[in-house]
Amino acid sequence: MQHRGTAARRGFLLSAAALAVAPTLGLGANPALAQQAPAKLIITAIPDDGDADRMRENFGALARHLGKAVGIPVEYMHVENYAASVTALATGRAHIAWLGAVTTAQARMQMGTRLTLLGCRDIDKGFVSYFIANPSTGLGPVANLGELAKAAQGKGWSFTFGSKSSTSGHMMPRKYFMDQSATTPEKVFRSVAYSGSHDVVMQMVADGTHQVGALNYASWDKAADDLKARAPIVYKTPPYTNYALTARADLGPELLAKLRAALLSIDGSTPEGAAVLKYLKAGKFIEADIAEWQGYVDLLESGIDIGG
Amino acid sequence: MGAAGMSSVALPLTARYEKRPLGHFVALLAVLLAVLAAFAAAEWDWAALTDAERRAQAAARIGAWLAAFARPDLSAAFVAHAWELTLQTLSAAILGTALAVLLAWPLARGASRAVCVGEERAAGRSAHWWPWLRPWLRPWLRPWLRHFPLRSPSALLCAACRLLQDILRAVPDFVWAIILVAMIGLGPLTGALALALNITGILAKVYSELWDGVDESRYAQVRSLGGGRIATFLYGIRPLASRNVLSFTLMRAECAIRNAAVIGAVGGGGLGAEIWYQVRFGAWDKVGTLILFTLLLTLAADLASNYVRRQLRGDAARSGAAPASCGVVGDSTEKAPTSVRPEPPANATRPPRSPWLAAGFVALALSWSLWFMGWGNQAGEGGAPRNHLVPAAELFTGQAWENLRFFERLLSPELDLAALGLGDPEKAAARAAQGRAVELFADYGVADFWRPAAWAAWQAELQKWFVWRVVESAAVPLALAVIGTLLGVGGAILLTYPHSASFQLHAAQFTGESPALWQRLLRAMQLAAARASAVVARGVPEVMWAFLAIAFFGPGLVAGTLAIAVHTLGVLTRVFGEAVDNQPLARFEPACGASRATTYAAVAVPRVWRDWMTYAFFQFESNVRAAVVLGLIGVGGLGFQFSFNFEWFRFERAGTYLIMIILLTVLIDRGARLLKLSRVGR
Repeated sequence: MQHRGTAARRGFLLSAAALAVAPTLGLGANPALAQQAPAKLIITAIPDDGDADRMRENFGALARHLGKAVGIPVEYMHVENYAASVTALATGRAHIAWLGAVTTAQARMQMGTRLTLLGCRDIDKGFVSYFIANPSTGLGPVANLGELAKAAQGKGWSFTFGSKSSTSGHMMPRKYFMDQSATTPEKVFRSVAYSGSHDVVMQMVADGTHQVGALNYASWDKAADDLKARAPIVYKTPPYTNYALTARADLGPELLAKLRAALLSIDGSTPEGAAVLKYLKAGKFIEADIAEWQGYVDLLESGIDIGG
Repeated sequence: MGAAGMSSVALPLTARYEKRPLGHFVALLAVLLAVLAAFAAAEWDWAALTDAERRAQAAARIGAWLAAFARPDLSAAFVAHAWELTLQTLSAAILGTALAVLLAWPLARGASRAVCVGEERAAGRSAHWWPWLRPWLRPWLRPWLRHFPLRSPSALLCAACRLLQDILRAVPDFVWAIILVAMIGLGPLTGALALALNITGILAKVYSELWDGVDESRYAQVRSLGGGRIATFLYGIRPLASRNVLSFTLMRAECAIRNAAVIGAVGGGGLGAEIWYQVRFGAWDKVGTLILFTLLLTLAADLASNYVRRQLRGDAARSGAAPASCGVVGDSTEKAPTSVRPEPPANATRPPRSPWLAAGFVALALSWSLWFMGWGNQAGEGGAPRNHLVPAAELFTGQAWENLRFFERLLSPELDLAALGLGDPEKAAARAAQGRAVELFADYGVADFWRPAAWAAWQAELQKWFVWRVVESAAVPLALAVIGTLLGVGGAILLTYPHSASFQLHAAQFTGESPALWQRLLRAMQLAAARASAVVARGVPEVMWAFLAIAFFGPGLVAGTLAIAVHTLGVLTRVFGEAVDNQPLARFEPACGASRATTYAAVAVPRVWRDWMTYAFFQFESNVRAAVVLGLIGVGGLGFQFSFNFEWFRFERAGTYLIMIILLTVLIDRGARLLKLSRVGR
C-alpha cells in the first residue's frame, strides 16, 4: 500500500516539472499582448450556429481574408459559450468578435468606448423572429402577442426560447411579448425552457415536446418542409437590428481603418469572400455605427425583466 | 480534573450504546421528511404517465429518438473527427485530473480535521483554550466546541481550507473557464485548468472526508508512539484510507474524461462539447456516433483504472484466500488485460514490482497528454501542430491577474436593501412609492401566525425582496436532488450486487459453496450486464438523459429528476461496487454458510455503509448544483439562475446566487460530516 503514494507522487512531480518547463520552451513565439498592432489577431464569434465545423471553416475564411488585407495573421478561435466570447473581447484575449445585438450591448456596457464596430451585414438592420406553435394547439396566425397570451392562458402549454444570451432566440421575442401582452411568458405558460439553439426549438415544437417557441427567421426558413408544416409560424415580430463585427478600439485607428476597408471590400470574387457571404447569407458587408446598438444598451440598463 | 477526565472518557461510550439504534430512526425520519418536503415544495406533473393519449405520444417520441440513435454516422470522415476529439478530451482530462490531485492533496490535508487539528478527545485539550469555562460545563460543551473554528489556530486553518474547497466546487466549471479566459486566453489548456480547479474542490472534499472517516482507534498506536500530526497522517491515516482515495481519484478521472464539455466551451474541442453542439443542431446520427465514442472512452478508462487499481491494491487482501484469482479481480468479462498479473510474493524479501508498473502506466498517460497538448495536437491552421501549453506562461504576467478585475462585481452581491427600506433613503422611498417594497405586516400582524392566509401574504410580500427570491430558488433544485439522489442510491444499492466481482466471481471463497459451471457462467453474465448498464448510465451525459426524459415526460421536474436519477445510478454503482470489492474477502467469512444475497445485505453493506454515504452525500450535493438540466427542463432554480445572470454579465445578481450556492454546499457538506460523526459516536 505504501508504494502507492510514492509511485503516484513521482508521477505528479514529473508532470509538475514538465508543466513548468513546457511553457518556457514556447515562450519566444508568444509575445505579450501589445497595445498597438499585435503580431497576431484573434477573432472569435458567438456560437449561434449548430455546427462547429461549419463555423470554423467559414470564420476561418473570414480570418484569412482579413489577414491578407492587413498583413497580420488572423486566427479564428471557436468558443461554445456566448459569455466567453464577450469576456475574451473585453479582456483583450480576442481582438475581433462576431457578436449578436445583445452580446454587442453587453460588451459595450463592459468596455465603453474601448469597443468599436467594423461593420455589419446588409441584412442585420432588418432582423425578424418567428413565434411558432405545434398544430395540436389549434393556434392560427395571431395579429399580436397579446392574443397569443390570451389563447395560452390556462392551457398548460410549455414554451421554449433558444439560447439564454441570444438576441433573436430570446431577448427580442421576450421584449415583444412583454410589450404587447403586458405580462411575462413565465406567467402565461406552464414552463419556460431554454433549449439551447434555434434548431432545437424548431425540432421540439414540431414533435410536441413544447407547444410554442420562438426562433430567428433564418433558421426557420432553411428547415425542411415537413418540419415547417409541423411547426407553423403564428407571429412575425417587427424588424430589429442584430449582428455586428466588433473590435477593440485599442488596435489603433490605422489598423481599424484597414480592417474596415477589408470587410467592406468582401464580395464574391475571391473564394474566401464567396464562402463567407454565402455562409452568413449576406449580399455584402456595410458600415455600422455603435449608436444603432445603443437601444439595446438602454434596454439592458433599464433592468428589463429577462426572466433571471 | 482527574474526575472530569474520567467522566469524559466514559461518557461517549455509554452514549454510543444508547444512541446507536435511535440514530437510524432519526435518519429515516429525516429522509422521509425531505421527500415529503420535496413533493410539497415543487410542482410535480405526472400527467405524461396517467393520461393514455400523452403516454402514446411520449412512446412515439422515444421511439423516434432511439431510432435516430440506432443509426450512428459512421462515415470515415466523421469517425476520424470523433477520434481526434476523443484524443483532445483524453489529454485535457488527464492533465486536469493530475493537476487537481496535485492541488487537492495539500488542501485536503488542511481540511481534514483528523489530520489538521488532530486528536481532540484527549481530556482537557479544549479546556486549555477556554480557561474561563466552568469545569462542570466542560463535558457538556466539549462536543459542541469541536464545531467552533475559533477554538484554535489549526481549527481555523481547517475551516478555511474547507471553505476554499467548497468554493472551488460550488462555482461551476464553465464559470472557472470564463474567468480563466480573461487570464490566459482561449484554448484547450484553459478548459483543462478550469476542470482542474473544479475537480480540486471535489477531490479535496472527498479525500478529507475519507481521512476523517478512519476510526481514531485504528491509528491510535502511531500517536501513542509519539508520532506528531504529520507522522500520524503519513503512517496511520493515509495508508488506512488509501484504497478508497485511489478508487475515488480514478473514478473522478473517468468522470472528467466523460464530462469534459467545458474543455470545448472556451476554444478547445473535445467530445462533451461536440455532443452538446450536435444536440443543439439536431444531428442525432452524429450524436449517436459521439456517444458511442464516449462510451468506448468510458469503458477504456474503466479498464485502465481497474488495471492501475489491481497493480496497487497489494496482495495482502487476497493472497491468503485466493492466490489464483487475484488476476481477475477487476472484471475478466470485460476483456481486462490479463497478461500482467500481480504475482503473489514468492519470497517476502523482494518488494513487489506491480506498483512500479502502475506508476509507469500513470506516468506514461501523463507524458502522453502533455505531449499531445503541447506538440501532438494537429488543430492549428491547415493541420499544423499547435502548442497549447504556451498560454500557461500568461499566468506569470501581471496582465493576467489585472484582468481578474473584470469579475470584481461578483464580490459586491446585490442585496436589494432598498426593498427593505434600508440603505439609500431616496431609493428606498422610490421603491416604496412603486409599491415594490416589502411591508411584511401590512395586512397581517405577528399575532395572526395561526392563519394560513397570513403566511401566504407574508410570502408574497417577501418575494418583492430579491434576496428572498434567491433563497426560494433553492427549493426546486433541492427537491429535484432529494428525489433524484434517493432513486439513484436505491437503484445503485440493488445494482451493486450483480456489479460486484466479489459476489459474482469470488463468492465461493467465503460462502463455502461450490457453484456448477453453468452457475458461474450465469453469474459472469449478470456481472457483465450490470457493468454494461452502469457504463451506459454514466457514460451517456446527463444532458442526453434530460433530452430523452423531456421527450417522454414533457418539460418539468419529473423529467429532470429522472435524468439526475439515472446519472446518479451510474456514477454511484461504480463507486459503491468498488467499495465492496475493496473489502478483503476474509471479512465476509464470518457469514460462511449464508447465501450470497444474505452475506451482501448483512455483512457487505454494513461494512461499506459509511463510504457509501460519503459518496451519496457528495452526489446529492453536486446534484443540487446541476444547472444545465434545470435550464433544459424549464423550471428555473438556483444553479440555472446563477449561470443565467453570469452569462448576462449581471455579476451583482450572480454574486447573490453564488453566495446561496456556496451556502447550500457548505450546509450539506457540514451536515454530512456531522451525521457521520454521530454515527460512530466519536
